[in-house]
Amino acid sequence: MSEALAGRRILVVEDESLVAMLLETILEDMGCTAVGPAATVDDGLALATDGERLDAALLDVNVAGRQVFPVAEALHRSGVPFVFSTGYGEGGLPDQWRGHPTIQKPFTEAAVRDALMKAMGVENV
Amino acid sequence: MKELAKSGAIDADLAAAFDASPNPYMLLTPDLRYAGMNQAYLAALEVSREDLLGKPIFDVFDAGPGDEGRSNARQLRASFERVLKDNRRDHLALIRYAVPRRAANGERVLEERFWSATHTPIHDADGRIAYILQHTTDITELEQLRRRVAGVDRKRALDSILSGNVLQRAEHVQQANRQLETERNRLLEMFMQAPGFVAVLSGPDHVFQMHNAAYSQLIGHRPITGKPVREALPEVEGQGFIAFLDSVYATGEPHEGRASRVELQRAPNAPLETVWLDFIFQPIRDDSGSVIGMFVQGHDVTGTVHAAERQKLMIDELNHRVKNTLATVQSIAMQTARSHTDPRGFAESFQARLLALSHTHDLLTRSHWEGASLRAILEHETEAHGPHRISLNGPPVALEPSPALSFGMIFHELATNAAKYGALSVPEGQVLVDWAVSDLKKPMLHLSWRERGGPPAAAPTRKGFGSRLIERNVRHDLSGAVELDYAVAGFSAEFSVPLDRGRVA
Repeated sequence: MSEALAGRRILVVEDESLVAMLLETILEDMGCTAVGPAATVDDGLALATDGERLDAALLDVNVAGRQVFPVAEALHRSGVPFVFSTGYGEGGLPDQWRGHPTIQKPFTEAAVRDALMKAMGVENV
Repeated sequence: MKELAKSGAIDADLAAAFDASPNPYMLLTPDLRYAGMNQAYLAALEVSREDLLGKPIFDVFDAGPGDEGRSNARQLRASFERVLKDNRRDHLALIRYAVPRRAANGERVLEERFWSATHTPIHDADGRIAYILQHTTDITELEQLRRRVAGVDRKRALDSILSGNVLQRAEHVQQANRQLETERNRLLEMFMQAPGFVAVLSGPDHVFQMHNAAYSQLIGHRPITGKPVREALPEVEGQGFIAFLDSVYATGEPHEGRASRVELQRAPNAPLETVWLDFIFQPIRDDSGSVIGMFVQGHDVTGTVHAAERQKLMIDELNHRVKNTLATVQSIAMQTARSHTDPRGFAESFQARLLALSHTHDLLTRSHWEGASLRAILEHETEAHGPHRISLNGPPVALEPSPALSFGMIFHELATNAAKYGALSVPEGQVLVDWAVSDLKKPMLHLSWRERGGPPAAAPTRKGFGSRLIERNVRHDLSGAVELDYAVAGFSAEFSVPLDRGRVA
């Protein structure tokens, strides 16, 4: 397995604790540190802008009835790469983010890793 | 005629013109004697003026022998009598009247002829009838042709004509006209009452000629008749419809619109309203084929369009929920697998958790996903352990779907743990669940789960999935707090959960 992501700090925004726990488990297995997980857009924004180092983020598109895009914009401004996770399929993203690395629920460990590496521009070794 | 002219009864020039007319004319005195006739009349009968003048018409002109001849003569006499009695012109549309002719061998024979005759009263200076003027047209050939074409029995055809067939025909035409009028009114009524909107526009500026009730309703009952579309419905300018009308007018090709969006003023001073229309603009042409107007018809499909939008939203939402649920199940499977080394134990735990999730779904489905009561969820997750082992005590609390699902999983983990290690693992053990809601402005649910009569509880050396799920779910999904206490008297858990978390802001 690739160790390319070992030691990276990955912000998780996901409202369902069980799905958040799954992502944490996957991230830990890859040697990453999960930051959060944030259950709301506000918590996500706070974690995205509190100055702590972030290497990437996994963003659920629909977070407790709100769309996660303010967090995406904040991360984009500070140059932090991120991956969307969604149950809505391809059509769930607005034009601004269409084509952005996205994982579909339910997801495999490989899908999470590949999407993160694509977003971060990390070569698989 | 010359005699009449001489007597000054008619103008000499007029008499000359009369005499020269190719149509046969003759004059009768009121006692039905010949008073005059023109050359055409004499030629038609092959007689001289002297043979006729002063003689009673029926003496020289007996219409032939037999009943038929007498009957025809009666018909002619009746017409003269009507003129004299009613002092009015009388018509004989068709009369059969045999006339004497000189045959090739020089003998005089009766030849059957058909005539159409008009009898007009001519008045003297005192207004009395001085003469009856007969104008006849020989229609023998026409009638023979008609009979050949119709191939009907001679007598019957004639009888039917002579017994007022012309009048009947006139009546038929009149009746047909009445029917057409009724039909026209019915069509107009259908047009006006049609459920779809209909309008007729005229000319290159598309002037409203007529429109029905549905059209009126569509445009907020504005007075539009006689106005061009541009003036009658100013808001449609720039929405493309006038361009379509112009194009149909110019090309004669109909234009059809499907679920077309249009902004319309539906009430005076109201803001524009979006409606969706199916419609067609069809050209109306004159006899020469040129487009002179437009037939506009269609119906409002706004409801259908909205329903389709709602359906798409619902399908998207369903997809989102199904995918999220699958991710949840995936997580349960993965976490359960990590705490079980044997496949049988994994399968049992995994299935039990899946069923707990499914039970709460059932409860929510019963309320059409509006929510579920806290007590119902507790009963659902603990009933397998016997009703007397668990005491439920608290006021009714309605939970929304998302917290209901969370509590369903939490109570499942608590009950499973109690059955494995706690109070429900021994026959005399009990679980006391008490709850209350504090602060009605910002309602907070306080719930305690206390196990009594079981073995002493001991904190686990390594946190299992069950207790992690409880802690994470309360904090993350419910924005609440939970204290797990492993006391000697028994395990207990104290929950504080806000009931209107306002997460959907």
